[in-house]
Amino acid sequence: MAATLFFVSILVFVVIRVLPGDPAALIFGTQGDPQAIARLREAMGLNRPLGVQYVDWLAHALRGDFGVSIQYDVPVGSLIASRLPVTLPLTLLAAFFMVTAAVPLGVFAATHHRRAGDYLTMVISQLGVAVPAFWAGLLLILLFSVHLGWFRSGGFDGWSAGPWRGVRSLLLPAFALGFFQAAVLVRATRSAVLEVLREEYVRTARAKGVAERYVLAKHTLRNAMIPIVTVAGIQLGQLIAGAIVLESVFALPGLGRLALGAIAARDLPVVQGVTLFVAGSIVFINFTVDLLYGVLDPRIRYE
Amino acid sequence: MRKLTCGALAALVTMIAAWAVAPAQTPTSLVVQTGTEPPGLDLTATPASATAAVVLYNVQECLVKVDRHGKIAPWLAERWHTSDNRNYTFFLKRGVKFHNGRELKASDVKFAIERAMDPETKHPYPGYYAAIGDIIAKDDYTITFSLKEPNANFLLNMARQGSVIYPREAVDTLKSAPVGTGPFKVAEWVRGDRIVLARNPDYHVKGLPKLDRVTFRFIPDPNAALAALKAGDIDASIFGLGPEHVAELQKDARFTVTIGETTNDVVMAMNNSKKPYSDVRVRRAITHGINKPEVVKGAMFGFARVIGSNVDPLNPYFVDLAQAMPYDPAKAKQLLAEAGYPNGFDTVLKVAPQYYYTVRTGEVIASQLQKVGVKVRIEQIEWGQWLSRVWKEADYDLTIIGHAEAWDIANYANPKYYFRYDSRKFQELFKKSEVTVDDKARRELYVQMEKMQVEDAPVVFLYIHPRLVVTKKGVQGFWKDLPIPSADLSEVSWAK
Repeated sequence: MAATLFFVSILVFVVIRVLPGDPAALIFGTQGDPQAIARLREAMGLNRPLGVQYVDWLAHALRGDFGVSIQYDVPVGSLIASRLPVTLPLTLLAAFFMVTAAVPLGVFAATHHRRAGDYLTMVISQLGVAVPAFWAGLLLILLFSVHLGWFRSGGFDGWSAGPWRGVRSLLLPAFALGFFQAAVLVRATRSAVLEVLREEYVRTARAKGVAERYVLAKHTLRNAMIPIVTVAGIQLGQLIAGAIVLESVFALPGLGRLALGAIAARDLPVVQGVTLFVAGSIVFINFTVDLLYGVLDPRIRYE
Repeated sequence: MRKLTCGALAALVTMIAAWAVAPAQTPTSLVVQTGTEPPGLDLTATPASATAAVVLYNVQECLVKVDRHGKIAPWLAERWHTSDNRNYTFFLKRGVKFHNGRELKASDVKFAIERAMDPETKHPYPGYYAAIGDIIAKDDYTITFSLKEPNANFLLNMARQGSVIYPREAVDTLKSAPVGTGPFKVAEWVRGDRIVLARNPDYHVKGLPKLDRVTFRFIPDPNAALAALKAGDIDASIFGLGPEHVAELQKDARFTVTIGETTNDVVMAMNNSKKPYSDVRVRRAITHGINKPEVVKGAMFGFARVIGSNVDPLNPYFVDLAQAMPYDPAKAKQLLAEAGYPNGFDTVLKVAPQYYYTVRTGEVIASQLQKVGVKVRIEQIEWGQWLSRVWKEADYDLTIIGHAEAWDIANYANPKYYFRYDSRKFQELFKKSEVTVDDKARRELYVQMEKMQVEDAPVVFLYIHPRLVVTKKGVQGFWKDLPIPSADLSEVSWAK
């Protein structure tokens, strides 16, 4: 885990500095005086060799100091912490929508294999794959905010304004994000369940006269869970990536928008901090998925 | 039971009636959408127009102010005096208080401008203060600036965003919570979401500001901004909507659309140091090959003013030269042939999609130039790369961008600027115009420079990017034009 993060940190550091685009020049835009830009570069420590800059950054990062944002003049750690109350619930809510839509639909498609219900589910999931989340988001805003007036078109007042107001600002983007990410999971669930349904022990269970509902829940779904959880874990990572786009559409002050703005402004400490945080989260999700295997299938043991 | 129900019903009807006849309260707060979040609020550290929009004249002010008509007006200095155009004495308004409660004194002005002049400050516009030799605070309310040589733009520079006055003790918070003398104080900045300004009760101009609270909400996506406006979540949009939204909003009775002028001249730069654009005949041919009114129609939905030089219509020395080098494809072909390109040539146009109007403009121009034999390949690059490759290193053939700054003709007198336009004659004219204080003589110099810009065609001067302000019906007092990049909200209010 530490090795992955170390590798990610080097990669981001090199990529962001190799990219054309100078943070000092970006601060001044087209109106900067070249001398002023040069002085700022020096003050920001960008004139030092790349290796020195990296070691300096790493030494601070190991002590929990990720630097100060060039754009906001706020420590990167507290900037990330201030964005988490938006992105974390957004991603979790989206994951909830994704799983609650995808698993039942996938099971339904598998149990209605090659029948109208199966085809219909596949058409819906194809639509989910094809429709970009930002477009879905805009359509949802048009329907629920502009025409019906049920939800705000965007923005986030903060949880201090009340939990319901917070959830209300996140419902539409979470739905756009989760529902349309569900498509891949529907397909994974369908094929996993189909595969298990062909197993001998399912046939045996049915032959014993076990109720179909019980066959599905106890014998099929539990055994199909491992590929489903694997895909869901990968999709969760995708949700974090998708949040970048939807936070822009819904003007939410989350981690994704922070990253996007930081890349555009070459706010290196923030890009570095956010990437490392997201990489860490994905490593953590994968680790949790690995642990879940053991819970789902007691035969899997980690030494 | 029935009695109780009747009673409750009667009470409810009375309440509703009372609510219905009660005079509606005029709102005193406003939510304004803006597309870009300021990269810090320190006007002495960033030239970003997003910062100026929020802070300049709303939170912090200068000795003098560029008003909504582009005129320089007395402000923190109630008057000024000069007898020789070298020594300017400003007489400060008495009783002006900073947001921290302390009174503004001449020593604060001296501190702020000397700090701007100090290279250590890394001020974005050190050139504005290069002519200043000495600053003497004679007493608490009188301050004299001695210039090394006359400087025609001195007063204007004192009104610009880099020349704001703030208390010495608040230097450390300039970036996140700037303190000034403006009509509003910074109440809250929720990074990534909004900046809230609250009324300054001690403001030195009586009756202003008219609003109690202003919220700038950052909505980067123009379609999301449009939806927010239609859903009623924002009251006004100032730097967010594009010309593509205008026709639809003009038809909507809930909104008022105001289209004004800006100082943002959109140009297609040609790399003057690189073949074939080092040949003035090619640059003229390209200019003749572009049908500017059609570009405005195709790329800006008709909402922009065609220009012929760098001097914008808000500038007092503006001369309308839009027709000076008109669309003439036959002449363009002839000039290309004379320059040795009878069959035209291939060229690359670099644009940054962050400013999407540049992409749309480029597409229209590419199709027009095709007709005179110039095949334009459009390359879209990210803004950071544009700044580095095009602006800094001049690694380009053609590029399109808007130059928002007012009085920026100096760019054409700088051979190192990314146009790489190097004309000794122009540079001398400019130098003279900087030290000529007599208005008539200076105008003459400006007219000569504008005409030279047509003749030399260092860039193709396309159009002025319009100012689009969309508000809910009833919001009044916004500036129509934008002579300086401030979103001055001091006079904005809701109609009673």
